Amino acid sequence: MAAFEFRSAQELGRVFERHGVKYLFFGKSGAILLGYSDTTQDVDLYLDKQRHNCVKVVAALLELGFRLTEEEQEEIERGKDFVQLRNGPFDVDLIFAPDGIERFDDAWKRRVEKHGFPIASMDDIIGSKQAANRQKDRESLPRLLSFREWLRGNK
Amino acid sequence: MANRESKPADWEDFEAAAKRSIEQHIRNSFVHTYKPVLDDAKYRSFDSMEEYRRWCKENLPDWLGYSRD
Repeated sequence: MAAFEFRSAQELGRVFERHGVKYLFFGKSGAILLGYSDTTQDVDLYLDKQRHNCVKVVAALLELGFRLTEEEQEEIERGKDFVQLRNGPFDVDLIFAPDGIERFDDAWKRRVEKHGFPIASMDDIIGSKQAANRQKDRESLPRLLSFREWLRGNK
Repeated sequence: MANRESKPADWEDFEAAAKRSIEQHIRNSFVHTYKPVLDDAKYRSFDSMEEYRRWCKENLPDWLGYSRD
């Protein structure tokens, strides 16, 4: 599996846009695209769970080179809350119902566009980690909060 | 922005990252590290986040940090 590079993000953005997928870069990967310095392994995408969007997501993933069986494609199209993919050009988590966010449209309105990508706001990224409240979230929150403060001072 | 004396230590990291190209920044940030169990399946799906959290609690080693405890 190749590492996730900027050109991977560009290709993802191009293909998702061509298919009309409604998505946001999310989690630590979203923060990294906003300039946050830390490491992560996978790409987190927050996707609108409406069926027509899920159908587009599957088509886009197949075009990007993710190997999904027919059963897996149908599962995603029917609607899941969380899908973990380790069967493509890079690791990706598809999140359809992140902790702490009620509706995709709300997060979409608060999104930030950077490098041509739609990215969840730092408020949503942090709010979701606070709501998830896993050990790894609690450990990462002080630095994410510091980054949000730094970002506000550098706008 | 805070003055230099009161600047939090990690702000220097953020400032350094901001000076790098986006290509380099992404290359530095996405690092593949094998996570046992989690990375051992090509595909997993969960109907609800509750189901996902329960699976993490019951299957992943504690040190990965996916537990809410």
